[in-house]
Amino acid sequence: MTRHPTAIDDESLIAALRLASGSDPVPARVTTAAHATFGLRLPGATQARSVATPVPRGVRSAEGARLLRFTAAELTVELEVTSLDGLVDLAGQISPCPEAGTLVEIRTLHLTESRVLSSTGQFAVTGLPPGWFSVVCRRPECPPVVTTWTRIRP
Amino acid sequence: MSDQRAIDAVPVDDQAAWDALVTRFTGLLWSAVRAYDLSPADAADAVQGTWLRLLESLHTIRDPDRIGSWLFTTAKREASLLSRRHRDERLVADLSDAEHARLAPAGAAHADPVLAVLSADEGRRLWQAVDEMHEPCRSLFRLMATAPDAGVHQLAGRLGMPSGSYGPTRGRCLNRLRTMLIAREATS
Repeated sequence: MTRHPTAIDDESLIAALRLASGSDPVPARVTTAAHATFGLRLPGATQARSVATPVPRGVRSAEGARLLRFTAAELTVELEVTSLDGLVDLAGQISPCPEAGTLVEIRTLHLTESRVLSSTGQFAVTGLPPGWFSVVCRRPECPPVVTTWTRIRP
Repeated sequence: MSDQRAIDAVPVDDQAAWDALVTRFTGLLWSAVRAYDLSPADAADAVQGTWLRLLESLHTIRDPDRIGSWLFTTAKREASLLSRRHRDERLVADLSDAEHARLAPAGAAHADPVLAVLSADEGRRLWQAVDEMHEPCRSLFRLMATAPDAGVHQLAGRLGMPSGSYGPTRGRCLNRLRTMLIAREATS
């Protein structure tokens, strides 16, 4: 096998030394969460990818709020993220507004919250645990659209 | 490496195949992200993020032999982003915009030689090289490896150097170690 030690960056070298010394074992919860991740698979779903969100001029967002936007071919999911007491609140808008009967699921590694989308395409959840989350939009007769997993830590 | 063939031959389309990947690579990913000086909580997020990216990309992976290097590269990217974000002290942010687009499976090819160094055999050789090094490098690497949660101040104190010297010294020692590896490669 051809190796090129010069190509090894500092972090990889440090990782190799630590891995070989065996003195930084993987916490059990990390391994458990990794195994459970496969259960979050959504076969057949369309992915809505994160895109940059320029702050609109003349609009003052709530203190500390952050805007996230995800786009798929047929719809856009916009989220305003705020944090209170170390927990996460999300206010969302799906556009163009899907037909009646559309459900939104806000998934975290530990729990999933479901909301019926309002007639104006809005939804909200409060008090989510910090960490990774993803939003699934389930329209009648359509494959689900799912945002890429996103990390929020207050 | 019979287990490796078994994993590589099976597409990752059921829990058993996924579990085999987790068992084989979680230790590697943990070490990869911890090298970015992340806290245990941030390191856990970076490893978890890596598995979530794999879940999102399963349908795009054409060459199962490359999953190891793909995971390693992705973990380093997640860790690097978290590490930068930590310094920014912002409320939230994420792997955004083009980051996902750059997660092309083919882009992980350069991680292969690095993965070779992370094998058990190479790890032993790496530590043999460290044992031959002069101070402060030998003690610095031993301390760095055995006290992964120690801060710069603490590490520098135990090595008897000012805090500001730790980073540059570590950089010089890593360069020396790299050069030793190249020299060994040339004579082996």
